[in-house]
Amino acid sequence: MSESRYPAPVRRFLRFFVGNSVVERILISIAALITAVLVSSAIVLVAGYLSGEAYNPIEIFAVLVNGAFGSPFALDSAQLFTDGWSPINFSMGTTLKETTLLIFTGLAVAIAFRGDLFNIGVQGQMVVGALAAALSLVWVAPLFPASLAGTLLIIPFGLLVGAIVGGIYGAIPGALKAYFDANEVITTIMLNTIATGVAFFLVSTYFADPTLQSVKTRPIPDFARINGIIFSEGGQFSLVALVLALAAAVGTYYVLRYTSYGYDLRISGKQAPAALYGGANAERMVVSTMTLSGALGGIAGAMWSMMVIGAWRTGVPSLGFDGITVSVLAGNNPIGVIPASLLFGVLKGGSNAINFQLGVPPELVAVLRGMIILFIAMPEAFRMLGNWIGIKPEPAATAGGDSGE
Amino acid sequence: MSNSTREKDALTGIRERFANLGTVKTTVITTIAVAVLVGGAIRLLFPDTRAGTFVAAFDVGFAESTLRIAVPLVFAGIGGIFAEKSGVINIGLEGLLIISAFTAVAVTHLLSGGSNASQSTLWIGLFGGVLASTLLAIVFAIIVIEFKADQIIAGIAVWLVGLGLGPFLSIVIWGSVNSSSITTMDTVTIPGLAAIPILGPILFDASPIVLLMLATIVLAWYALNHTSFGRWIEASGENPSSLDTAGVDVHRVRYVGVILSGVLSGLGGAGLVVGRAGRFIGSGQTMINGDGFIAITTYLFGNYNPIGTAGAGLLFAGLEALQIRLQQIPFIPAPTELIRLVPYVSVIIVLAFVGYTRMPSAAGEHYESGEE
Repeated sequence: MSESRYPAPVRRFLRFFVGNSVVERILISIAALITAVLVSSAIVLVAGYLSGEAYNPIEIFAVLVNGAFGSPFALDSAQLFTDGWSPINFSMGTTLKETTLLIFTGLAVAIAFRGDLFNIGVQGQMVVGALAAALSLVWVAPLFPASLAGTLLIIPFGLLVGAIVGGIYGAIPGALKAYFDANEVITTIMLNTIATGVAFFLVSTYFADPTLQSVKTRPIPDFARINGIIFSEGGQFSLVALVLALAAAVGTYYVLRYTSYGYDLRISGKQAPAALYGGANAERMVVSTMTLSGALGGIAGAMWSMMVIGAWRTGVPSLGFDGITVSVLAGNNPIGVIPASLLFGVLKGGSNAINFQLGVPPELVAVLRGMIILFIAMPEAFRMLGNWIGIKPEPAATAGGDSGE
Repeated sequence: MSNSTREKDALTGIRERFANLGTVKTTVITTIAVAVLVGGAIRLLFPDTRAGTFVAAFDVGFAESTLRIAVPLVFAGIGGIFAEKSGVINIGLEGLLIISAFTAVAVTHLLSGGSNASQSTLWIGLFGGVLASTLLAIVFAIIVIEFKADQIIAGIAVWLVGLGLGPFLSIVIWGSVNSSSITTMDTVTIPGLAAIPILGPILFDASPIVLLMLATIVLAWYALNHTSFGRWIEASGENPSSLDTAGVDVHRVRYVGVILSGVLSGLGGAGLVVGRAGRFIGSGQTMINGDGFIAITTYLFGNYNPIGTAGAGLLFAGLEALQIRLQQIPFIPAPTELIRLVPYVSVIIVLAFVGYTRMPSAAGEHYESGEE
């Protein structure tokens, strides 16, 4: 399989991609994404056939992406654009809302992955963070002036409470891993169920809003919520929250890349013996990594309470699990989490459109969530494919980009 | 520095106490024996007190429901032993259970319309569920063995694929994440033996799935400990290069290990629905609700021995059966929402004490023949 069957410029072009590990990772993510879409399409076709529905996968994904942005393109008619489309619309708000929350949960998973820890418990950390933020805001709001100044003080307070409680909840599996060797994948999954159960019990027994039948806390006062100003229609999304999320991504990148703490974290993940030799306390590193990861999950929960619901209620969406896909898709790179979240936000934002327009269950996104990880987990397959179509990686270039071996 | 050393010493002490599996076994057996004796005494002496009512919850019905609840745990746990002993950590057992439970109901429903399915259709449904789980396990095996994927990430992917596909396809078929009901398998009654008190109704008037489970425990124990296949599985996880030297293909052994985990998890998930539940529930974490992960805990607790694993599975199933019972006793002080969580908390406690369980030394690592 030599490269000589391609003309020189093509060869140079191909070699640029293969020689660069960042580009290679991006290519692998894209290849996995396409494969996941193709396989899911096949499943949708077969399932539709068996149940007597004629699904058209191309139409589904076109409506999905178009719907996520509030349908800028008029897919059904002869004209290209929808009349009167504005970038500020309800669907766009939903997409960006999902993106914002996914950046936090994606970062939470990514930071743990970097320390070679699998935090599957972001979901639970989100649940407790969301509950703590909602309850504390309901309680302390009377102490703050219901003004702009009050808002500026109380919102950071709410996010901080979410971060602390989520962080403590993340520290539990961290300590169990560090001091008792308990597999963190299993403990975090058990803690997810426990978080949901305990939160349900607490709210239904002690903190329920007496005016409602449902399991929901009293509402957070309006001035203590993160309200949308530009995306006021439909609410639930604030650009300020998105800016905070982007700052968190850049901040996480900085901490991992340029601080000694981040260095210890990454080395503990890659080369545990080297980290020990360098003086890092391995046990404490595991606990602090899980705490940091849990804190980011807790902030995601607080954002959900303060921006989306305006209270805490049962049925916290599974953004913690989505965060696993976001992180894996981003190659566990904090900056990469931003585009990966946007992509997944589009999938979630458009899932309502496929439901309303085509009758396809929005749970299709959960299928994609698993498929994407499944195919991203096998970079070797895509490398083999690359070799087969004639692009051989430079031996020196893959040495750093490859994990293990 | 000295402080942290002391911390470590205390921990090592605790762990050493539990590290001796013999101690754990003796403790568990003694506890159960004492509990049975004390319980029996309370029941006889104080039948009308609260303690008497509490003890009365542990009856034949309790034992039967424990066995039925244990089905997914024990099958998946034993399946997990084969995969992990051969060197592949299959953390995706949960996904295999979900996909087989869903497929078994779907196949039965599509063949018969569901509520009036004949017994033979249920067996076909069971087979369909096992097939689906096996196919997903084969995909997992190819990804980790052929394409050297990280076993934990690929396992999480298998779980999420199951968690996504089950509810999604349920909506496509039934318009809801929960399926409609199907009939369940009739119990197998052995005349004569079923009349034995206590043991009779538990073992000789039981669901065929429960009997299959009991047979699987014995077969798996025999295969792992008394056949050359069992030795290959062990070597493939402990010292793959020696197995290679002996002329046995390590990859092939690992494929068999992972595929067995798929077949057995399939029996667990499909057996759960055709044997007891009679429907697929896809809301939240689906009806499997963590059983696949608890199954991993059972084989760590059972130290990769099918009999110990089944014992641990019965223990967790017993907790689950107990919490269902306790919800019906009016004077239990704790609220049902919290009692429901007891099995999950106990999994964490058990994991903390068995964290020392020595994994097969090559588990989680890719093996390349010939060492380039």
